[in-house]
Amino acid sequence: MKTKRSIDPFTVEVIKRALVSAAEQMFAALGRTSKSSVIYEVLDYGCAITDAKARMIAQANGIPPFIGVLTDAVADAVAKFGLDGLAEGDIVITNDPYMGGATHQNDVVLVMPIFYEGRPILFAANKAHWNDIGGKDPGSWSPSATDIYQEGIQFPVVKLFERGKEVRGIVDILARNGRIPDMTLGDMRAQAASLQVAAKRVVQICDKYGLETVLESIEVYLEQGRKLALDELKKLPKGQFTAEEWIDDDGLGGDPVLVKVKVTIQDDAFIIDYTGTAKTCPGPINAPLSVVLSTAKFAYKAVVSPHADPNEGFFAPLKVIVPEDTVFNPKRPAPVSTYWESNSYAGDVVWKALANVIPERITAGHFLSVCGSIVSGIDDSTGEWFFSVEPNAGGWGAGKGKDGENGLVCSADGETYVLSVEVAETRYPLIVGQFALNIQNGGHGQWRGGFGLVKDYRMTNSKTFVTASCGRNRFPPWGLAGGHDGTPNLAAVLTTDGRVEERGRFSSRELKKGDVARFVTGMAGGYGNPHNRDPQAVLDDVADGYVTLKTAEEVYGVAIVGDPPHVDHAATARLRGGA
Amino acid sequence: MPVRLAIDIGGTFTDFVGLDETTGAVVLEKALTTPRNFADGVAHTIRKSQVDPRAIRQFVHGTTVVINALTERQGAKVALLTTQGFRDVLEIQRANRTDMYNLFYQKPKPFVPRRLRFEVRERLNYQGEVLQRLVEEDVAAAAEACRKEGVEAIAVCYLHAYANPTHERRTGEIVRKICPQATVTLSHEITGEWREYERTNSTALNAFVQPAVARYLATLDQHLSGMGLSGSKYAMQSNGGTTTFAQAERVPIHLMESGPVGGVIGAKVIADLLDETSVIAFDMGGTTAKVSLIDHGHVKINTDYHLEKTAVWAGYPLKIPVVDIVEVGAGGGSIAWIDSGGALHVGPRSAGADPGPACYALGGTQPTVTDANLLTGRLNPEYFLGGEMRLDPARAEAAVGQIAEPFRLSPLEAALGILRLTNANMQAALERVSIERGYDPRDFTLVAYGGAGGLHGTTLARELRMKKVIVPAAPGQFSAWGMLMTNLRHDFIRTHVMPCSGERLAEIVAGFAELEAGARDQFRAEGFPLDRVTIERSLDLRYKGQEHTVRAPVGDGALRDARGLESVIDRFHELHDQAYSFRQDDPVEIVNFRLVGWGEEEKPRLKPRRKDRRTLAQATKGERAVHFEGVGSLQSKVYERGLLPIEETFRGPAIVEEPACTTVVCPDQEAVADRFSNLIITEVTR
Repeated sequence: MKTKRSIDPFTVEVIKRALVSAAEQMFAALGRTSKSSVIYEVLDYGCAITDAKARMIAQANGIPPFIGVLTDAVADAVAKFGLDGLAEGDIVITNDPYMGGATHQNDVVLVMPIFYEGRPILFAANKAHWNDIGGKDPGSWSPSATDIYQEGIQFPVVKLFERGKEVRGIVDILARNGRIPDMTLGDMRAQAASLQVAAKRVVQICDKYGLETVLESIEVYLEQGRKLALDELKKLPKGQFTAEEWIDDDGLGGDPVLVKVKVTIQDDAFIIDYTGTAKTCPGPINAPLSVVLSTAKFAYKAVVSPHADPNEGFFAPLKVIVPEDTVFNPKRPAPVSTYWESNSYAGDVVWKALANVIPERITAGHFLSVCGSIVSGIDDSTGEWFFSVEPNAGGWGAGKGKDGENGLVCSADGETYVLSVEVAETRYPLIVGQFALNIQNGGHGQWRGGFGLVKDYRMTNSKTFVTASCGRNRFPPWGLAGGHDGTPNLAAVLTTDGRVEERGRFSSRELKKGDVARFVTGMAGGYGNPHNRDPQAVLDDVADGYVTLKTAEEVYGVAIVGDPPHVDHAATARLRGGA
Repeated sequence: MPVRLAIDIGGTFTDFVGLDETTGAVVLEKALTTPRNFADGVAHTIRKSQVDPRAIRQFVHGTTVVINALTERQGAKVALLTTQGFRDVLEIQRANRTDMYNLFYQKPKPFVPRRLRFEVRERLNYQGEVLQRLVEEDVAAAAEACRKEGVEAIAVCYLHAYANPTHERRTGEIVRKICPQATVTLSHEITGEWREYERTNSTALNAFVQPAVARYLATLDQHLSGMGLSGSKYAMQSNGGTTTFAQAERVPIHLMESGPVGGVIGAKVIADLLDETSVIAFDMGGTTAKVSLIDHGHVKINTDYHLEKTAVWAGYPLKIPVVDIVEVGAGGGSIAWIDSGGALHVGPRSAGADPGPACYALGGTQPTVTDANLLTGRLNPEYFLGGEMRLDPARAEAAVGQIAEPFRLSPLEAALGILRLTNANMQAALERVSIERGYDPRDFTLVAYGGAGGLHGTTLARELRMKKVIVPAAPGQFSAWGMLMTNLRHDFIRTHVMPCSGERLAEIVAGFAELEAGARDQFRAEGFPLDRVTIERSLDLRYKGQEHTVRAPVGDGALRDARGLESVIDRFHELHDQAYSFRQDDPVEIVNFRLVGWGEEEKPRLKPRRKDRRTLAQATKGERAVHFEGVGSLQSKVYERGLLPIEETFRGPAIVEEPACTTVVCPDQEAVADRFSNLIITEVTR
C-alpha cells in the first residue's frame, strides 16, 4: 500500500491555476476560431476539464445553466466505450437530449480523452450552439415542435474522430443534415481544435510536475472545494423549504405548467427535490435532465458561494431528485428545443423556497424569461435575408439592503450583451423608437424591484416577421418579505391603423412597413414593506421619475411637497401611522 | 544645453527624468507624490533636480489626475442631453451580468442621475440623414434647467452623431449661450465610433473630469511659466502620444492611462534600438503588474478600454484610444492569504505603500511578495531604495510564518511558494496577451521594468521560454523615460459601414480626406508645423455578416487604385487568419476609418557608452545565499549595476542591485550590460 505523500499547498494552487487556465484557453480558442456569432458573441458555449471518473476539475462557460453540464457527457462516453475503448486522438460527439450532457440538439458536445504515458488521465469537453443541424425549421429549434425528430439530427454518443482522424461517415452525415454545412463543419473543427489546446496544456503541466503530483493535487483541490462548501452550509439554516411556480404554457398554448420544489438543507447536504413538477409536455419547453441538474448546480452555487471555484468537490454536498416523465426529466421523444422556457424555473423555485429564510443571500424574483425575439425578412434594399436574434433584458429583484437592478439579462444569460441601437439600425431595416426603462407601478418595497425595459422596432421594410417568446406573461416575478410582486413581460404589435395586439408569444407574425414591434420586460419583485423605505430615497425616486407623487403617497406613505420638493415629515408619519 | 524633461506623477511616487540633448546625460529624481497639490509637487521636483527651468525645451507630463477624479468620483455635476426615447442609455448599459452566479450583482451606477438626463426631439438615421430636425426649444429648456440646477458640465450625445454632427454642434451653441458657466462636451468630439452606450458614457465621463483637469493644468502652466519654463508643454495621452495642454483641457479623458503607457513606448524605443522585432513590456510595481505586447514595432492601440472593469464587474466603457495593456493584481505589496477551504492565494489585495509589506516595519503584519523576495535572499535589506529604507527580515519571517504554519512549512518554503504563485498570476497575464491572441511567447523578448520587474521577469521569461529579458537603465523611472521619446499624436476614428471594394474607392478616399483635414486643423490649432506631421491610415475590416473586425494598415499607395486597395484586403485576410485562425471568401466590409496624425518631435539620440576600464570584479559587492525553487540555496554573486563593465558577460545565479530595482539572474542564465546600459539576460545555451 502506498503511503500518502503530502504535496505543498503552493504546488496544488499552481497546478489548479494551470488547469483552470487550460479550460479558459480552450474557451478563448473556441470563441476566437468560431465563425458563428451565437458562439463568439452570445457566448452560448462552455468548456470543461474532468478527470477520468468524469468529475469536474475546471471549466469556463458563457452562460450559467451550462455550469457542470459536461460531466454527464464524459460519463456517458466512458460508459459506452469504456476507458479501454478510447484511444489517443479519439473524439466523441453527442447532442442527444436524452443522453448525458445535452440540452437541445443545437448544442453539440465533443468529448476527448487526454492521454499521458499511454493512458487517459483527464478529459476535455466542450459544447456549443450550432446554428443549424436540420429539423423542420431553419435554425432547428422551434417553438412549435411536437417531437424531437422535428428538432434536428441526433448523434447518440458516437466517435467523430478516431486516433486523430475524422470519421468520414459521421462527417458526411453531419454535412448532409444541416442547412449551412460550411458553418457547421467550421464550428465542429473549431471545437475539436480547442480540445487540442486543452490537451496540449495538460500534457505540459504533467511534464513539468509529474503525473502523480498532478493527480494528487486534483484530489487536494477537490477536497478544498468540498470543505469550502461544507463551511458555507454550516452558515445556512437547516430544514425543509418548499415553493412552487407556474409556467405560462407549454409553448403550444396549453394550460399553465406547475413547477414544485422541496429544498432540504442539512449539515452536509443540500437536496433539491423537484417531485410534484408537471408531467412531460406536448410542446417543446421540456428541459432535458442534464441541463436541469446543471441549473440546480447554478442555483446551489448562487446560494452557497457565488465566487467559489466550480468543481466536483464544491458540488459534492448537492443532491438533485427529478422524477421521470416530468417537464424536468421528459420522456423520449418529447420535444425539448425551447428548453430554457421551463429550465429557468428550476433555479427560480429553489431561490423562492429559500428567500425568506436567507434574505441576505437571495433577492426577490426577477423577470426570468430570456424574452428572446427574432426579427427577420428579406431586406428591400439588398434582396438578402436578415435575421436579428436577441434576448431582452429586464428587471432584477430587490434584496435585503439593495434596490433591484434595472435592465439586466435574465439568469439564463450571463456575459450576454443587448444589441446597440446604432448597430441594429445599421444592420437591419428598422428604426428604434425608444429603448428605455419601463417605468411601471409595481415591485414596490422597502427596497424597490428593478425596472424592466421597453423597446420599439418600427419596421422600414415592406415585410418583416417577428417571433417572440416572453415567459412570465401571466405570472409576474415574486416579491419578498412584504415587497410587492413585479409586472409581466410581453410583446406587442402596433399596426399603422392604430390597433395594438399584446401577448406573451408571437410566432412569425408578419409586419408591414411602419408597424411597430414592442418588447416589454417586467419589473422585478420588491423587498420589505414599502412603508419602511427611507423617505429620502422615495424623494429621490420621485425626482428621478421612477415613482410618481401619487405612488409615493399611496404606496410608500411619503408626503412630498413644495418647490424644490421635499419630504413633509409630519404628514409622512401620519400616512405611515395610518397604514 | 537644451533639456527634455518628463515628470510622471504616480500613485506613490513622482518620477522625474531629464535628458540633456547635447551631452546625452540623464538626470533622475524621485519624490513622494503630493496628492493634495500635484502642481506644487511638479514644481518642487524640478527645483530638487536643480535643472534650470529656462533650459527646458520640452516638458512632458504624465498624470493620474483624470483617473483619480474618476475612481474617487470627485468631479463635476454633469447633465446629459440626448435623443428623445434614449434618456436611459447610461442606465441600461449593455445589460450584461458579468458576475453571473451572484444574485446581488450591482450594475455600475451612471455618472449622470436620471433627473439630469434630458431628452431632445431630433433624429438621424445611420447614414446621418435627418429624420427629425432638431427642436431648439427642447435644447433651450434643458439648458435652462441645467442653469437652475447649478450644473457644471454638460454632455451631449445624439444617436448617429458620428455620421452627422450638425445637431450636436447646434446644441452646443445654444447650451453655451444659456448656461455659460458649464463646460460642454459633444460626443462626436470624443469619438466618431458607433455604439450609443459606449459613446454616451465616454462623453459623460469627459464632462465629469473636465472642470477639475482644466483647473489643474492652468495652475501647473502658471507654476511652470513662473519658474521661467518657456518651452513646449505636453501632456501624455493614453494613445501613446502627447498633446498640448490646451487640447488636454478640451478632451481630458484622453489622459486616462497617462502614466503607464510611457513605459510601453519606452519598451518600443528600446526594441527599435536593439533590433528586437517583437517584445512584451512587463511593468511590475507595488500593487499591479502590467503587460503589453508590441508586435514588429507596433504598439497596439484599442478603443475598448474600461474603467474599473474586473472579472466580476462590467465597469465603464470608454471609446478612447488606449495602449492595449493587461493588468493583474500582482505587485510587491500583494498579500498572501488562505481561504476557508484551505487554498492559498496571493493578491489582489495589496498592502500598498502604507503600511506596506511587513519588512518595511511601518505597521504591516501580513505577508507580501516583497517579504518573500527578502526572505529568499533576492532583496538586500540594507540597500532598499538605495539604502534609504532598511528592511526587517525578522518581521518578514514572522508574517510569512502565518501562512507557513498551518501547512507545517518553513517560512522559507512558504516564501518560495508565494513567489511561485505570484509568478503564476503574472504568467497568466502574459499568456493572455500572447497565446490567447495567436502569438507564441517564444518569439518575444521581455522588457522588464518597474520596481519589481527585474525580480520576477527573468523567471517568467524562462517559464514561457522567451528569447531574452531586457532590464532597461533606471527601470524604476522607465515610464517617465519613455515619455521623452514620444511624439504628438491625435487619433481620428469614424464609423462608416460600407463595402470595401474597388468600386467604392472614391468614397473611401473621401472618407480618409475628411479625417485628414480634421487632423491638419488640429495640429494647426496647436501651432505645430504641418511639414512635421505624418499621417497613418488604417481600416477596421470584417467579413460581411461577422461581428469582429481586424485592423488593416492602409499604406500610402493603397488608395491610388483598386489594386492598391486589393493589397489592403489581402493583408486583412492574413491578419484575420492570425487572429481567428480562419479566412473566408466572403465580401469584406469597412466598419471604421482610422487615422493617426503624428506630430514628429525631434528625438534625442541615445549615445552608446564606450568600453572603459571597469571590471566585473570592481562591480562585485559580495556574495549571498539566494533560494531558488526546486534547486535550493545557491551562493550568488552580487553586483552593483552602475559599476558593471559593458559587454562583459557573467553567469547566474547572480543578483544585480541598483537603488530602485533588483534583478535576479537565475542559475543557467547569463547577463551582460550593453552599450546603452541595458541589462540583457539570456538562457545559457549548451
